[in-house]
Amino acid sequence: MRYRNPQLRDKLAAEYVLGTLRGRARARFEALMRYDPPLRSLVTDWEDRLAPMAGAGTDIAPPARLWNALSQRIAGEARKPRWWESLALWRGLAATGAAFALVLAIVTGAGPQAEPPMSMVAVMNDTQGQPAMTVSWPSMRAVRDPYIRIKVTQKHPTMAPGTTWELWMLPPGEGKPVSLGLITTDVDQVMKLTPEQAARIESAWGIAMSIEPSGGSPIGKPTGPVVMKGPCVKIL
Amino acid sequence: MSAPPRDAQATRLAELLSQCGLKNQRAFSELYSLTSPKLFGVALRILRRQDWAEEVLQECYMNIWNHAADYAAAKSAPLTWMTSIVRNRCLDWLRRPQQEATGDEYEIAVEAWQDENPGPVEQLMASGDAAALGHCLKELDARQRQGIMLAFFHGMSHSEVADHMKQPLGTVKTWVRRGLERLKGCLEKDGNR
Repeated sequence: MRYRNPQLRDKLAAEYVLGTLRGRARARFEALMRYDPPLRSLVTDWEDRLAPMAGAGTDIAPPARLWNALSQRIAGEARKPRWWESLALWRGLAATGAAFALVLAIVTGAGPQAEPPMSMVAVMNDTQGQPAMTVSWPSMRAVRDPYIRIKVTQKHPTMAPGTTWELWMLPPGEGKPVSLGLITTDVDQVMKLTPEQAARIESAWGIAMSIEPSGGSPIGKPTGPVVMKGPCVKIL
Repeated sequence: MSAPPRDAQATRLAELLSQCGLKNQRAFSELYSLTSPKLFGVALRILRRQDWAEEVLQECYMNIWNHAADYAAAKSAPLTWMTSIVRNRCLDWLRRPQQEATGDEYEIAVEAWQDENPGPVEQLMASGDAAALGHCLKELDARQRQGIMLAFFHGMSHSEVADHMKQPLGTVKTWVRRGLERLKGCLEKDGNR
């Protein structure tokens, strides 16, 4: 894999920050960076090196209308009495029709007929706040073999070499994340649960995904960055 | 140029960002007045159109407002963090269909390294608050420095830099690449990364 070459990685990071990495190459690099924390830190290093150059440019005050627009947007945000905002999920949903359409597809049973209706869903956002994955499951009492369905909706899901994605459920209160298992970047996946996992997932408040070394976290809790997470919401 | 010392300003900006994370609108207002002339300049030089620069900057400040709480994890100086948000958004903007470059850069990016002798220094870089970077830019071959500055300041692609400098594309890419390498080496030597 070309992206393993350390010289190439550093050169691409430099050109990304300088801005000469363009077009599809730039989009591809950004997708790659999301799941490759060492690559991300090469970029941060280059930002630290080059960003002070911006200080050498002339300052130009923006017109007052810019601040007027901004302060209105922010004040508007604070003023609206949105009781449903306590469900953090809705923020994500309102932000993107795509996520909403996805939930609708799950609720209305766009899947095969034999499948029982999904009763819970977690729409997981990536670190940019974009919906990147949904995890849904039927009522565990309604199925003989408990399972969850995972849909990766991110545009360019990329798994860095030597890493894997691990899914976690977040138990209520201060409980530690409980591993659900390893997943792939496939668009549609089904993961069987053990009876113990099935019992616990019904009370989980959220689902998260972290980047772990191949084979999964060696210590039973996330060791790598948590790059996606979202709250569980009852839909049926 | 009676700006407060860089560290004091960085500390203040970091405080303001953490206040913005708590949705303190007054902190946001101060953050805006301290940083918007710098960031508007950055955006305007890259986009070269005032209406675009205003639109992008508005988005960026909303972004900063909404993600200020993430700043603590960024490990960069506050202005670096904010500058990167603006630069990346500007470059995304230029990536829109009608602006998109050829898209061949990825393949070209894998070209082998090439050596070129550094030339004489022709031009000094004036930079008050980034002395190490200014010093290291001065150490570069003038063409390397010019290539880097055109790309960074004006958001020029490799081919735009080549047009501007009236040089073949490959030559310009080499200058930029070599310049970046030398810059990194010089900054590491100075213990300034």
